[in-house]
Parts: sequence; structure tokens; C-alpha cells
Amino acid sequence: MAKILNMPKLSPTMEEGVLVAWHKNEGDSVDIDDLLAEVETDKATMEFRSFDKGTLLKILVQAGESVKLGQAVAALGNAGENVTELIAQAAAPAPARTTSPTLPVPSPAPGAAAPAPVVVAPPPQVPFQPVSRGSLLTRTEREAADAESADTEAGAADATGATGQVLASPYVRKVARERGIDLTGAHGTGVHGRIVPADLDSLATRPPSSDSAGHAGAAVAQGAHAPAPTPASLAAPEVRPLSPMRKTIARRLANSKASVPHFYLTIDVDAEALVALRELINGQLAEVGKNTNQKKASDEAKPLKVSLNDLLVKAVAAALVRVPECNAQFDDNAILVHRRVDISVAVAIPDGLVTPVVRNADQKSVVAIASEIRDLASRARAKKLSPKEMSDGTFSISNLGMFGIDEFSAVINPPEGGILAVGRVRHEPVVKDSAVVPGKKIAMTLSCDHRVIDGAAGAAFLAELRSLIEHPMRILTG
Amino acid sequence: MPRVIRFREALREAMIEEMERDDRVFLMGEEVGYYQGAYKVTEGMLEKFGPRRVIDTPIAEGGFAGIGIGAAMVGLRPIIEFMTWNFSAVAFDQILNGAAKIRQISGGQLNCPIVFRGPNASAKQVGSQHSQAMEHFYATVPGLKVVAPAFPADAKGLMKSAIRDNNPVLFMESETLYSIKGDVPEGDIIVPLGKAQIIRPGTDCTIVTYSRMAHVAMEAAMTLEKEGISVEILDLRSLRPLDEDAIVQSVRKTHRCVVVHEGWPYGGVGAEVADRAQRLAFDWLDAPILRVTTFDVPMPYNAKLEELCTPQPERVIGAVRRVVSRGRAARST
Repeated sequence: MAKILNMPKLSPTMEEGVLVAWHKNEGDSVDIDDLLAEVETDKATMEFRSFDKGTLLKILVQAGESVKLGQAVAALGNAGENVTELIAQAAAPAPARTTSPTLPVPSPAPGAAAPAPVVVAPPPQVPFQPVSRGSLLTRTEREAADAESADTEAGAADATGATGQVLASPYVRKVARERGIDLTGAHGTGVHGRIVPADLDSLATRPPSSDSAGHAGAAVAQGAHAPAPTPASLAAPEVRPLSPMRKTIARRLANSKASVPHFYLTIDVDAEALVALRELINGQLAEVGKNTNQKKASDEAKPLKVSLNDLLVKAVAAALVRVPECNAQFDDNAILVHRRVDISVAVAIPDGLVTPVVRNADQKSVVAIASEIRDLASRARAKKLSPKEMSDGTFSISNLGMFGIDEFSAVINPPEGGILAVGRVRHEPVVKDSAVVPGKKIAMTLSCDHRVIDGAAGAAFLAELRSLIEHPMRILTG
Repeated sequence: MPRVIRFREALREAMIEEMERDDRVFLMGEEVGYYQGAYKVTEGMLEKFGPRRVIDTPIAEGGFAGIGIGAAMVGLRPIIEFMTWNFSAVAFDQILNGAAKIRQISGGQLNCPIVFRGPNASAKQVGSQHSQAMEHFYATVPGLKVVAPAFPADAKGLMKSAIRDNNPVLFMESETLYSIKGDVPEGDIIVPLGKAQIIRPGTDCTIVTYSRMAHVAMEAAMTLEKEGISVEILDLRSLRPLDEDAIVQSVRKTHRCVVVHEGWPYGGVGAEVADRAQRLAFDWLDAPILRVTTFDVPMPYNAKLEELCTPQPERVIGAVRRVVSRGRAARST
């Protein structure tokens, strides 16, 4: 008996994914847990494995296509089975999202429901007059009144962001279409957030919401999206479709910068001792590596090296243990001070960046941290990280030193309370024992969520960090 | 030169002028002659034209409707008065299977240039059997034209068009409109069939209506104006053919539509208007189309209940407020 394979939910926040590659061809036999395809979700490239046995009869989505959650991607069954009808059924329009109990309701990702800007409307001239159910209206009028009551319920659901439906009349939608205004995710000033004609002016100038960015991205993928109008005299920009990851970055960072009150503390640390320690460690690791790797294949023979960043991860972990106020996050009703030190490390990859997490960094050796980060980073570049490996950090480090940046400030990675932005090692004259001598310095800036971390706590953390970096043996000893 | 005359006088003037213009035109019905008309519409016409052209009939609608249709088939142009359109039910087969079909079943060899006219819909306490809005039944029938003017000038102009039309035209009057006054031009004025008219321009909501309800809508519009709601009123005048261009044009302008008419809410002219508005102006609609109609019950005799059941300005105001409020900001509370 043939069946349709639908796009599964491969990450907790996944709503669509790009089918990167098929690992089976039409006609291939498929066993349970066989790798069918790879799917790029908002978090990572995930494996799509078969739950069933059979023959892959038909591939419905080609590699590179963007696929909505639950959309049919292939037909599986016995060899030779006719699946034309089955596919036709699967292609029939799915029931509307709000009425389908089988579709999972997307759990709003933190900040996913970014509120649209509040539009200040003039005082309404028309009182909204609900009609009492018992009155002797004609059926036509009464049904209209009932429909309004139904609106109320739909509106209540909408307020929670569960339905995601935009309340707007055909007229409003038409004008929005004509003026190129994206209504997705928009809220109006009408009853239950209904978008009324007067709202269109303010909506025309709002930045696209996170949701609408997603939709626009989908449209781009289908080549249907017209880029923002450019004056005819100017060359039109190159349109680069948003990858799922890019959408996630855009949503999360925009939300962070808009809703988390950032403030910044910068220190300039003497890095002489840290650099020296790193060289010492790496020298010794190379010695050890030479001895142990002699018999191994050359590509694995690369001796492990510890980077300054690895040392800083360990230093930050140690400083967070000493100043737990900075290892905390804001919750609506409380500040959550973490009992674990899980450091998110920002890793640049070709299409953006990801933040794999080094768990319990305070309890790991620098070498262990180094090898873990190396593994995470290489898998990040291959988009093979699982969503789990990229979530639930407690503090972030972003290091742009290798790109030659002197200093910078970073955007907090919610729900974490802080992020440390690390610049390059600068070789410059320093004053030591009343003499100007060649020295090494690193500037680092702590971005704090002011709801959680006050200036004094941030300063205490940085003082600890400075002390650790300037006496780096303490990093190794925890 | 316009002068102010009553609705019934405007009708009479149109009939007299047409009878003077065309000898084939004649009037027939109950009490149209010696009694001078049950509602005095035909007052003086017997004296003017004599019993050859103003014919009193027995109480036999099926009979005199059929005689009229037969006369029209052979070249005369009868005006048949029903004492009320409610009584036309007795002649329904003549109209439905006779007047409306003659041209088709004769392969175009015979026309049926006849006017049926009389008061329609509710009056004051005439009971369930005499208060019905019969236009909804007839307007569904291909082969018939149905008009329902609201003002004396339109009554005159449409009556002339109806008499000159080569098809059966059903002319819906109103007992409570016969005495209203209005400017009516003297002489030959023609209001074409199938043309609606904006009787009050506005921007926030279109009320589509006709006949007596045009006046109810006007009253509602005046109250709504004080609330800052600008209502446009479209008087259909003709129910079939329906001036869909006028409906669409107005709805495209105001984005909201309320249909007001007498008669029950099930089907009917209002449903037809709603169909046109949503089908031809969907992208311009900002609110559902509401209908304000007579309640879905046989008309009560009790005066208070009758008032409750028929569309009053308050209900029209409520419907307009409802559609307009959807397009405006919510109350801040």
C-alpha cells in the first residue's frame, strides 16, 4: 500500500525547510531508518530518514526546493504500484491551517511574535455596538451579528498568536497589494486587531515583520517576489533569497536589539601572559602529537592546537562561576541564575553564523574545550549541527580577532543575559614598571541585558576576567 | 416646468399623457372607473377617456390579467391595475406562464406590451395577506421587468417608459407613498428602465434600496450624518433589469453596502444586490454586505408588531454602524 511521505518537523521551530539533496532515487528500495534526504531547516541541515520499508516510487520535490512542513515530498510503496491518484490527492490544497487539527501549532519562538508598531488612531467616531442575541433581528442581520461574535473568538486566538491570521477585508488587501504593503503579521487598529483602511499608511512604512520576512523569502524562492521598488533610473539590486538560517538570524537578532535593553562595558586587557601561555601549551601539544601521531594517517596527524579563543572560553566560564549574576537570563517574573555554565561560541559560516554551545565549560579542560570547539565549528560549517547543540547556552562569546577587528560590541543572543565581544591581539607599546615596552593587548566588550545585569555586576565580571587573563595560569586551574 | 404634485397625481399624469399620445393604451382593473380608483390614482380618467379605455372589472384578477395579456398580444397596450399586488397571486399563472413567456413560445412573433400596476408591500395594518412585498417573486422571472419608484418624478417617468416598453412591466407602487409630494416636470419626461439613481451622495457606506424604503434610508442617513457617517443612497428604481453598474460603482467608492427593502430576508432583490456587490466589487469591500428587511414572519396585524417587523430607520442605522465600525479603529477601551 503506497503512502505519501510528508516533510517532517526536524527542528522544534521548523516551519519549512530546503530539501538539500536526495539520498535515494526513484525506484530505489528503502529500509526503515534509511537516509532519504537532507533538509536544511532554520537551524541546521538535518537528516530525513524513512520510518517505512518499500520502494521510493516518486519524488515530488526536487533538490533545492523549499518545502513547507507537512508538504508531500515523495511517494513510497511497493515496486510498480500506481500512485498517480495518491499524488493527486496529496497535491489537493491542504485544509486551511486554522481548521486543521493535525497540523502542529508552531510554538512561538522567542520573539517570533514581534509586536507590530502600535498605530495611534484618532478617537473612533463610531461606537461598536454589539447586538444582543435575543433581539428580533431578521435572520440576515442576526447572522451578521453572530459572525461578529465568531470574530471575537478568532480575535482572542489571534491575540495569542496561535492562528497567525491577518484580519483584513478584501478592500484592504487589494489596496495593500497595489501599494506593495505586506500585511503578514500585521495588526491593525480595528476590532480584534483587524486592519482597517486607515492603518495602511502606517503599515506602508513599517519594517517587515519577522513572519513577513519568512513569507517574502518563500516568494523569492519561487521567483514571485518583486524586490522593493527601485527608481527606474537606478540599477535594481541583486535579489538573494533568504535561507532558513538567514531568516532565523534576522528574526532573532532584530528581536534582541529591539526588545533587550543592551548596555556595553569595555576593557582593554594585557594579553602578554595569555599569548605566552598559549604558545607554551601549543608547543607542548605539538611535542606530544609528534610522538603519538607518528603511525597515524597524515590527515589526522594535525596536532591539536589551543586558540586564544579556547582559553578565553575557559576564562569566561571561570569568571561566570565567580560572578554568577552575569550567568543569568531574564524571565517575565524572575531572573533565572543558571547553575550551569554553557558557553555559546559564535561561528561564522558561509551563509551566516551559528552559535554551538560548549556545555559545562567551567568543568572542562582547555584542551577538551579546544577539541570540542574544533569539532563543533567544522560541523557547523558543514551544517551538520543538531538544533540541540545550538540551543540553551547561558552566555556567548563572539571573537572577531581573527578578522583583524580591534574592538566591537555584539548583539545579545536571547534568552542569554550577556555576550562578550573579543577583538584581536594588538601589538603596542605598554607601560611596564615605568618604562614603555612592546606589549600585547586585547579589547573586549561585554554586552549586558540591563534587565538582568547591572553595571556593577558587569564590571565585577570583567574585573574577574581581566584578572584571569592577566594571570592565565588561573585559567588552567579553574 | 417642475411643480410639486403627489405621487398618485404623477402616475395619473403619466397614464393620461400616454393615453392621449397612443390610442392603443387603455386602463383596466377593479374600481378604476366609477369609483375613481381604490387609492384615487385613476381619478377622473373614466370621465376623460370613457368606458372604452377605462374599464371596470369584476373581482377576478385571473380573468382581467388574462384579458390584458391577450389584448397586448394582438397589438393593444393595456395598463392593468391590481387593487394591491397581493391580489396578483390569483393571476400569477397568467403573468408567469402567459405574459413572461409569450414572446419566447411564439418564437418572437408576439409581443406582450403590458403594464401591471398597483400598491405593493406593507401599508398600515392591512394584515399578513395584504402586506406582502410581491416584487421578490416577480423579479426572479426572466421575461418580466419590475420597477418600484420612490419619488413622484420617477413614478411619472418610469410609468411612461413602462407603457412604451414592448415587454411586460410590473409596476410596484406603495399605498403609503401615494400622498407624498415632489417636483415633477410637466410634459414628456422619461426615466429609462434599468437605471438606478444616487439620491444622496456619501462616502462611508452605500445603502441600496427602492420604493418606500428609500425614504426610510434617507431618514437613517440624516441621523448617521450627525455621527459623522456619510451614507450614499442608491435608489434602484428598476429591480429587473438591475443596474449592476450603479451598484458596483457606488460600492467601489464607499467599500460598504447595506441593502434595505421590504419583504422577507430569504432570497429576494437584496440577495441579488448582495450577489452583484460581492461578485463584481469583491476587492473593494471592507465589510460583509448586510440586508435590512422585513422579519422572516407573516406580517402581524398589531400596529406595534407591524412597526417592529418592517425596516425602520433605527435598524438601518444599526446595520450601517456595524459595517462602518469594522472599517474603523476599535474603541480605545
